[in-house]
Amino acid sequence: MKVEEFQYDDKIVRKFVVATVVWGVVGMLVGLIIAFQLVVHQLNFDLPFLTFGRLRPLHTNAVIFAFVGNGIFAGVYYSTQRLLKARMFNDGLSKFHFWGWQAIIVSAAVTLPLGITTSKEYAELEWPIDIAIAVVWVVFAINFFGTLVKRRERHLYVAIWFYIASIVAVALLHIVNSLALPVSILKSYSIYAGIQDALVQWWYGHNAVAFFLTTPYLGLMYYFMPKAAQRPVYSYRLSVVHFWSLVFLYMWAGPHHLLYTSLPQWAQTLGTTFSIMLIAPSWGGMINGLLTLRGAWDKLRTDPVLKFMVAAITFYGMSTFEGPMMSLKSVNALSHYTNWTIAHVHAGALGWNGFLTFGMLYWLVPRLWGAKQLHSTKMATTHFWLGLVGIGMYVLSMWAAGIAEGLMWKEFDADGRLVYATWADTLPTLNPMYWVRGLGGTLYFVGVIMMVVNLWKTAKSGTPVDQTDAAAPLPEPAGAGAGGLHRLLEGKPLTFTVLTTVAVAAGGAFEIIPSLLIDSNVPTIAAVKPYTPLELEGRDIYISEGCYNCHSQHVRPFRGETERYGPYSKAGEFVYDHPFQFGSRRIGPDLHRVGGKYPDGWHYRHMIDPRDTSEGSVMPSYPWLADDPLDLSMTQAKVKAMTVFNVPYSDADVANAVENAKAQAAAIGKRLEDQKLPNAQDKKIVALIAYLQRLGTDIRAEGAQ
Amino acid sequence: MSQVNDELLDHEYDGIREYDNPLPRWWLGIFVISVVFSVIYVPYYHFMGGPHQEDEYAAEMAAAAASAPKVEKLDEAALQKIAADPTRIQAGKALYDKHCVACHTADGGGLVGPNLTDKFWIHGGSLTDIVHTITEGVPEKGMISWKTQLSAEEIRSVAAFVNTLRGTTPANPKAPEGEPYEG
Repeated sequence: MKVEEFQYDDKIVRKFVVATVVWGVVGMLVGLIIAFQLVVHQLNFDLPFLTFGRLRPLHTNAVIFAFVGNGIFAGVYYSTQRLLKARMFNDGLSKFHFWGWQAIIVSAAVTLPLGITTSKEYAELEWPIDIAIAVVWVVFAINFFGTLVKRRERHLYVAIWFYIASIVAVALLHIVNSLALPVSILKSYSIYAGIQDALVQWWYGHNAVAFFLTTPYLGLMYYFMPKAAQRPVYSYRLSVVHFWSLVFLYMWAGPHHLLYTSLPQWAQTLGTTFSIMLIAPSWGGMINGLLTLRGAWDKLRTDPVLKFMVAAITFYGMSTFEGPMMSLKSVNALSHYTNWTIAHVHAGALGWNGFLTFGMLYWLVPRLWGAKQLHSTKMATTHFWLGLVGIGMYVLSMWAAGIAEGLMWKEFDADGRLVYATWADTLPTLNPMYWVRGLGGTLYFVGVIMMVVNLWKTAKSGTPVDQTDAAAPLPEPAGAGAGGLHRLLEGKPLTFTVLTTVAVAAGGAFEIIPSLLIDSNVPTIAAVKPYTPLELEGRDIYISEGCYNCHSQHVRPFRGETERYGPYSKAGEFVYDHPFQFGSRRIGPDLHRVGGKYPDGWHYRHMIDPRDTSEGSVMPSYPWLADDPLDLSMTQAKVKAMTVFNVPYSDADVANAVENAKAQAAAIGKRLEDQKLPNAQDKKIVALIAYLQRLGTDIRAEGAQ
Repeated sequence: MSQVNDELLDHEYDGIREYDNPLPRWWLGIFVISVVFSVIYVPYYHFMGGPHQEDEYAAEMAAAAASAPKVEKLDEAALQKIAADPTRIQAGKALYDKHCVACHTADGGGLVGPNLTDKFWIHGGSLTDIVHTITEGVPEKGMISWKTQLSAEEIRSVAAFVNTLRGTTPANPKAPEGEPYEG
């Protein structure tokens, strides 16, 4: 038998490890800042680029794509080479992948605080960056599948299955959800509108959780857990069944983010049922992870790597039970838009992704930097307990806050009045819980800093490893070895990838294509008209300031919402919304029916200082909106872009866009003057006021007819 | 997990071995139950008349309407009587200071909302009209409906206090709007 000698590329893994740690610290620090902004509004510093609405997307993107993303790549590059007994396909592609991804992160860190955003959650980056993401992802895919081709191991291990599914699915999700029409180098409009945009977005949002935060990490778990425990994986058969059921079922569950909205009932039903059916496939991974430790539980006492991994897998099991429960309509009626969701995602992010990453890093760094051992096991153990207590405080306080909020929003007294009539009435109940959350986050962060020190000292004590020598025989001819059909499939990466793609694509195709093609899914409302040019500009300011991070725009059919906000939202009201602005969280009240609720002057004063009109508000002040000039240079192009989507603007509407905008601005300026405020007709704030005053009002005209 | 056999499969990947243990029965049970749940859920809500969200909403609103307290409608004379009661005026002032000053100012001179001290009224100056305006609001003009925040009695108290502002001289009055009302 001919044995080949070759080297694994460890230098690229080291780079990704460093990036994981650095971006992890950045992403979590931003998270801490925005956590405290919710109790101390002064922490927004009245500066545009430090407001919650702009920093929150930076936090989510940094944690998901920078911290977890680099963690995935570190683990994938390390394990894939070893599982396939081959160096990565091409070192140049590896480097391009690394530097390309870091460049994308840096561009995100610059554009998001500047208010350059598409407002689609976890897909906020504008189109040039989206294209860069697609390019880098394809390079990663070529590098990965190239390695598959030149592998010396005939069969693919379960970790590789999960990597394949992740690479295929993320490409699909990213491209379909990011389709947009550019109007300038840094501004584009989603090609989908309203409820269809919402469906595509949450198909993406849910499955970004699935195929970015879950399946790659299951792959990492399947490699690093048995390596660290030095025990066999519990059940190969379970791997097969839970892999296929997971990748098939996941894609259908996206609509559970839109329960009780104007999304068609059939799509909501799919969201609920497929979420429930996901419990077992998810738990298959948990079982295989935890039971791998059978016979080695005693190691848990001494080995921080295993501590982190076992806790991570436990959090995974907990989150994947909680998620389906929140997809039941009766639970979602209470939990949606509340801090309960925040608790849920952080159990996943801090517990599953964070802890698995930390476990992996403590295992990898001594090996990659040629150190004899970790600098301090004791410090790592302290990190573990700090992190665990931190997560506990975080999750428990946000559960309590979420349930309390959900109940307060729905509470009526015997006279039929809302007990918590103003938004600020709910805040005293929530504030102590926000403090506990912030403290929990701080503990978690202190643990991470301890890890940084520990890993740094570990690395200093050794000699960095650039490559590892390996030797392996060429793979046996096809068909060799015993095993069933699936074993055969594991020897055929192309067929395996095609089948995975089919399984992954089915759910999205079944839900999204009919909703785009069948008109009855979005009943039209004759009274709903396109936005005026000024309102369109105001909408872009709303998007740019990240208002959707705290304000929803969708009233659900509950007494607690219709009495507070007005009639519940209908799908036909959103047909000109490119992109949709439903939001996912109510840190402030819903705004879909805010149009006409207050006079223009109220909005002016509220934007300059929210405390002026709404005592106890925690909203940031937006004084620059009254200072910054209203820029109408793009207005005509924007209106014209909308006509590409068949928004019914006439040629005259396009030709007179700027004139019409100025006239409307002058009228608002006059009203402000009448209300003894500065006539701000040439400032950004009038466009925002115009947009807010329009929200949800068209349907009233229909009622009047 | 009685059926664990811990038979190692013949392959290994970078030193990782796998057992060929069967699927845990309880796990399979959960999977089957979740599928059965879905198979029942779909026909129940889509073919057997299970309540859609609009139906649930209608039921919730009907239940609220059925349990709502009956508010006795008071005529102008009865409202005048309330408006003469100092304790009601006092209560009305407290509510006014909390909810109304942002738009109408503390002395009623008006700011975003109209002046309440002059004899001009946009939506009528009788106590009946004022109570109605507060209760239902004037959504197209930015006056919100207060009935979900204030009880009928509270609204009458606010009207009683607003009544005392007539003819006072605010520091910075807004120009008159609406029709004169001579009560």
